[in-house]
Amino acid sequence: MQLGFIGCGAMGRPMAEHLLHAGHALSVWSRRPESAAALIAQGALWCASPAAVARRADIVCTNVTGSADVEGLAFGPQGLAQGLAPGSLHVDFSTIAPSAARRIAARYVATGVDFVDAPVSGGSGGAQSATLAIMWGGKSALATRLQPIFEVLGKTMVHVGEAGAGQVAKACNQMVMVAAIEAAAEAARLAVAAGVDFAKVRAAMLHGSAGSRVLDIFGGRMAARDFAPGVEARLHHKDYALLMDEATRLGAPLPVSAAVGQQLNALMAMGWGMHDTSSLLRVLEAGTGTDRA
Amino acid sequence: MKVGFIGLGLMGRPMALHLEKAGHELHLWARRTESLAPFAKVNAKTHASPAEVAAQAEVVIVMVADAPDVEAVCLGAEGLAAGGKPGLIVVDMSTINPNAARTIGQRLGEKGIEFVDAPVSGGETGAINAALTVMAGGKAAAFEKVKPLLEKMGKSVTLIGDSGAGQVAKACNQILTGVGVLAVAEAFNFAAKSGVDPAKVREALLGGFAYSKILENHGQRMLDRNFKPGFKAWMHQKDLRIVMEEAHRLGLMLPSAAATAQVFNAIVGSGMGENDSISALMLLEKMSTPE
Repeated sequence: MQLGFIGCGAMGRPMAEHLLHAGHALSVWSRRPESAAALIAQGALWCASPAAVARRADIVCTNVTGSADVEGLAFGPQGLAQGLAPGSLHVDFSTIAPSAARRIAARYVATGVDFVDAPVSGGSGGAQSATLAIMWGGKSALATRLQPIFEVLGKTMVHVGEAGAGQVAKACNQMVMVAAIEAAAEAARLAVAAGVDFAKVRAAMLHGSAGSRVLDIFGGRMAARDFAPGVEARLHHKDYALLMDEATRLGAPLPVSAAVGQQLNALMAMGWGMHDTSSLLRVLEAGTGTDRA
Repeated sequence: MKVGFIGLGLMGRPMALHLEKAGHELHLWARRTESLAPFAKVNAKTHASPAEVAAQAEVVIVMVADAPDVEAVCLGAEGLAAGGKPGLIVVDMSTINPNAARTIGQRLGEKGIEFVDAPVSGGETGAINAALTVMAGGKAAAFEKVKPLLEKMGKSVTLIGDSGAGQVAKACNQILTGVGVLAVAEAFNFAAKSGVDPAKVREALLGGFAYSKILENHGQRMLDRNFKPGFKAWMHQKDLRIVMEEAHRLGLMLPSAAATAQVFNAIVGSGMGENDSISALMLLEKMSTPE
């Protein structure tokens, strides 16, 4: 299949490589050309603009940072909309506001282009091992066209609903996941403050009712005091602004998420935005001063 | 003085009328023409666009809902910037994001138009009684020129600092009033559920360190179960959204404001947004009673 790919970051690059190795022809563009060099070396074709990528591809995938980035790629000067033929497809893997995804889908309607919001969970590790959880929103009839792409990138793919529904699912994912990281951090803090080894506490909990992937992975990093990312906390912080904004717009109270969001704000202020989100433990330690794990 | 006024809602209408009563000539534009009706018999001229208002007035006051509205009025196609001559002073009395205020001020500044952010506290009652608290940000020279106008609408008028500083002060005001109203509601619900008369608790507390205007005024309205606005809950929700957006941008931990904002989400989500923000009490009551 003729595919386009834009966004060659920690997530995007391994995803693009999987598509390339699965035998798809890949056209790429990047804001920083050097970030696409590795893909070009593996056979991807460099294009001069998003529009040029779009002209060569039936399906264009994007994986960038924010709502404004995706909108700019789609409808900015030399944007995808200028190159995508009617009947072609834009699949966005970025995590953006559900309302932005709906807006983009609606703007494409006039040009006969379909838009799918397909945010992923699993981090750069999941991208490398092609084990991402893909949650997508858009017309259900697109499933057969998406299948060959999704199956080389992820382990699970769920059609959640219409345009924007994938982003709603991702917001829920982030909410549950980061709250669990905060809970693990609080458990670690309590254990150590009480003079108990958190690594032992974690091992004891892992196969009980409190066991979870977050306790396993992020709890493990906390026990090892390994705060290298993983997931950069600044990205979770960004996602919290999106989901709290949705909560305000909808009049839905999210008391725990709001509290967790403030811990993330403190994490950012203390300079750990580029570290793993398990740094939430260090925010709690800063409130105590002694008894580091 | 020729004073432009844009935004003739619950707050803006009495504020504009105070200026007219003080002898100023009003220049008006309104999105909905029916908002102009109360000005038919006073010294006021109506215009087809904000740009036309700006061309006629020495000072233009803006009192609208949120940052996108202020942006549209100031910088839109037929906005104030399109008609205002250098030297015009725009005073935005809306409550908007401080960062948005700074940006709008800068953009107007490029056209030689001065910008003062001057949000108010005191609600509709304060507007009607010309008893508002005005918190201003901008250059001192521009502030001094508009201060006499602000004093016709407010009792306390303070220049806090540079552009955006008025909005920062207003955000602080909304943290204190939002958290304060919720604290009083929690205390009253706690007393009532403990079988104790909240009115007696209020009376006792007014003499101590827990005294506040909110305990006194909002507390009394809670006891009277008078949920008429006042200050609508959805507006407090909006103001706390601004606070939390800035906290996010700055990487700032505001745990109480964050929790309070969620209660306001619940108030609005459960259909009480048009009530006064003291409806926090009704929400707490609902959530402490079996369904």
